Amino acid sequence: MVAPIRVLTAVPICDGHDSAINTINLEFIRHGIEVIYLGYHRSVGDIVRAAIQEDVRAIGISSYNGGHVEFFAEVVDLLRKRGASDIKVFGGGGGTITHKDATKMERQGVDQIFFAGTSLTEMTDYVRKHYGKPRRRTAAKSSDMELARKLTEIEEAHAKGKRRTAKQIRNPQSAIRNPKVIGFTGPGGAGKTTLIDELVLRVLNRNPRARIAILSHDPSVVGEGALLGDRATMINSQNDRVFMRSMATRGQAGGLSPATHDCLAQLAQSKFDYVIIETVGTGQEAMPFQENGIVDLTVLVMNPDYGSRLQLQKIVMLDLADIVVVNKSDLQRARTAHSEIEQRLEQNRRGQQLIDTVAKRHRDPGVDRLFDLISADRAR
Amino acid sequence: MSKLGQVVEAVEKYNRFVLDQVKRARADEKFGRELINRWNDTKEKTPVTHTPTGLPLPRLALPEIDEPGEIARYLFGEGLPGEFPFLNGAYREMYLEPVREIELSSYGKDGDKNDVAAGGSPANRSKVRPTRPPLRSRPPEEPTRLFSGLMLAEDTNERFHYLTQHQRTHRLSTAFDGPTLYGIDSDADGVSGKIGEGGVAIDTVEDMVRLYDGFDLGSPNFSASMTISGPAPIIMAMYIAAAKRRFGSKVVPKLRGTIQADIFKEVQAQNETIFPIEASLRFLTDMVEFTTREMPRWYPISISGYHIGEAGSTPVQQAAYTLSNGFAYAEMFAARGIPVDQFGPRLSFFLDCGLDAEYIALARVSRRIWAIGMRDAYGAGPRGQLFKLHTQTSGRSLIAAEFKNNLTRTAAELILAYMNATNSCHSNSADEPFTTPSEEWIRLAAHGQAILLEESGIFKHTMNMLSGSPGMKAVERAVEAAILDEFREIERLGGVLAAVEDRFQRSQIQNAAHRYEQQIYDGTRPIIGLNRYRNGTDDIPEVKLARTPRAKQQLQVDRLAKFKKKNAGKAKRALDKLVDVVERGENCFPALLDAVEVSSLGQITGCLQEIVGHFRPMV
Repeated sequence: MVAPIRVLTAVPICDGHDSAINTINLEFIRHGIEVIYLGYHRSVGDIVRAAIQEDVRAIGISSYNGGHVEFFAEVVDLLRKRGASDIKVFGGGGGTITHKDATKMERQGVDQIFFAGTSLTEMTDYVRKHYGKPRRRTAAKSSDMELARKLTEIEEAHAKGKRRTAKQIRNPQSAIRNPKVIGFTGPGGAGKTTLIDELVLRVLNRNPRARIAILSHDPSVVGEGALLGDRATMINSQNDRVFMRSMATRGQAGGLSPATHDCLAQLAQSKFDYVIIETVGTGQEAMPFQENGIVDLTVLVMNPDYGSRLQLQKIVMLDLADIVVVNKSDLQRARTAHSEIEQRLEQNRRGQQLIDTVAKRHRDPGVDRLFDLISADRAR
Repeated sequence: MSKLGQVVEAVEKYNRFVLDQVKRARADEKFGRELINRWNDTKEKTPVTHTPTGLPLPRLALPEIDEPGEIARYLFGEGLPGEFPFLNGAYREMYLEPVREIELSSYGKDGDKNDVAAGGSPANRSKVRPTRPPLRSRPPEEPTRLFSGLMLAEDTNERFHYLTQHQRTHRLSTAFDGPTLYGIDSDADGVSGKIGEGGVAIDTVEDMVRLYDGFDLGSPNFSASMTISGPAPIIMAMYIAAAKRRFGSKVVPKLRGTIQADIFKEVQAQNETIFPIEASLRFLTDMVEFTTREMPRWYPISISGYHIGEAGSTPVQQAAYTLSNGFAYAEMFAARGIPVDQFGPRLSFFLDCGLDAEYIALARVSRRIWAIGMRDAYGAGPRGQLFKLHTQTSGRSLIAAEFKNNLTRTAAELILAYMNATNSCHSNSADEPFTTPSEEWIRLAAHGQAILLEESGIFKHTMNMLSGSPGMKAVERAVEAAILDEFREIERLGGVLAAVEDRFQRSQIQNAAHRYEQQIYDGTRPIIGLNRYRNGTDDIPEVKLARTPRAKQQLQVDRLAKFKKKNAGKAKRALDKLVDVVERGENCFPALLDAVEVSSLGQITGCLQEIVGHFRPMV
């Protein structure tokens, strides 16, 4: 099987018009494309950084607020500057981009501008036709790019069924300091992404040289592509010191992708202080980090609304996680949740930590505590 | 139960009250007699007007009923225009020609007022004052509010002067460029192409001085509208500071105008939020507390359904979310201790008007629900019960294919808007689907309103001319029930704020938008020229757009740098003070007023984001 086409979509800075791109994203994934959606009000730097890290085939930009001639040109230029001209740019803006603008933009290196009235089918066909073939590459110009390409190779090898054998994941004798690998899991909607983004902010602030890698998972739609949208809500992780890769599960159950193990091995060998893996929203029986064996610390993020107390007995990760977080602890149900989970953890007698957070709140003291726990052995 | 639940109960209770009055009017002879007398008295006192052909018509049309129960149903259930619960209108008379003697004296040089009218956008706000004959005081303000904003402050200023040159009253409406709407400066990374695009670039109080240069900001004939929400408190502070620089601090209580400042609709639909929701609402309340006390003629918030409708909501969702947002703001302001009769009259609304059947009565029903809710759940007095409405025809209903059909669409929407007794209205240009409106089509759009109100006899002779048909009543009942259902759903989710944080309204709007597209695709929603009677030819004219030249963009960046350099030391002190006040949880608006004197929009936004964080986008 051929690996799905990966494209990145975004709306430019100072532009909140996201309804067209939302529709287009859904159409793309229906046709087997994996879309990494960066969201609206995104700068040129954020878009290009994300495109390189995600190693996408193309960037689709939906612009409705003017300034598109400059904006598209800046994206193309920055890609060129970073040695990433193999990543193509296309886009549209309904009636706001005139034919004359489009001619100019295409001369500046944009592949294609779609006008008002273009059908979704035309757009999808265009992407599949132009970005579906293998591309020729020059040597990677940065460590981000090199890493990104290796991850692509791993993913593509898995898609073809040729599982790369991860020989030795870690080299204990290595002079390189090994990153601390932290796995985040928990049910969908518990706030894993927000929590990770808030932790990233703390790492970046406290340690001016720290580098972080994030491996974020979203489910593939059965028989279709995937909408990888975690980046769109992450405001602190758009940073040159953060390497983020969005992965689709590509048919594998349990919260991770078939290629996760190998990708993680790759990241663990790279120069990061922290490697964070986020699973998709998981069910009660999931234990996504069991096989990998290289996760140093597992964090289970719980929503206070897990149902009856009996449900807690069924959640396998409550036995395995090192830290359990009750997020959204501002909700009424949170107090009960805390004491029920506390009791449940006491049965394990493993000294697991239980922390309450409100990740959506800026400077939340609970997130501070979680950060202290995670970074305890990493202070510089 | 949250306040919204109380509103639902208040409306239900009021509806039962109306039924009780109907029964009582029939059973209690004395009460019935009183109602009949009042009814006959109203009819007798209604002046007669004459059409140009000499046909006599009453200035107020009333249903032909003489049975006390039905009279009670009308008077209590709908209310005469200008009377609770205001179904037929917020004011006694709207759109009517002045009586004849006054017509003669006031016609003439203002006759061509709409020639340069109403351009392209959401906030072409104008309040048509009720003309109450005999008309002795100064003539009403012209119903035009000219939306403008392009390039730099001085360019927009020039446009403002051009647009108002023949006008007695100067009613400006300001569009801001992208960086300003997101609270960032023109020198920020990667925004150079956005400077002065789609609106004016404002970075500092000095820009604000340039923007309204030459206008008398304290005059009763001047008012400014500013379409901005995310950084609204900072922009408001800049406006006040600019006015003080030019006219001294005595001008502050005289300032008239509107600032949009609607955070809920930004989070639900328009995505121009820059601080986390709770912080945004707090800064908004700080501003409202200040303006209601110090600037009694200012409208500090325009509660907007337009963007919700344009983002794809159903008409009922639009009205329900807008009203519930309004009630949530009222709850917040009351919780801050601002008296309801102080902020109530300073709230105004802005709705979309499309072609769906709901629009036959959407604003009528909204006005009634607002009045009942404000009176019975919030204890507002008469002025705080009024749903003051600006309407704009639907931009989303216009399409590029055979775009001249858009004139007909907009005309039909205008009739609906005026049937709903909107206080002011903006009509879209037919060329909007493919370009920033050009003069030719702006003129036609404005003339559409003039033809309807001035040329045709539909609205100028008789108040209530098209109100109250059986079909309209049927729509009213259905729409009211559907809006209350939406309220109950939001109430179940814990109220407006909880629902917003849950992305409830947002996903409902997105679902509705998706259904709408699907209906166009499968033909169940006919769009002439698109999925029906399509001729396939492209009649879109080649358009030329005014873009901000590079030299102007550079000028803005350069003078911003100069401002920052000049004020560097003072800015630090002012921002430190601002941080202090915000950390202590006090009203930060006075500190903002000081900060804008020496720091830029982007500096202030950045400083506040350090303390309260950034808005985390919802997708």
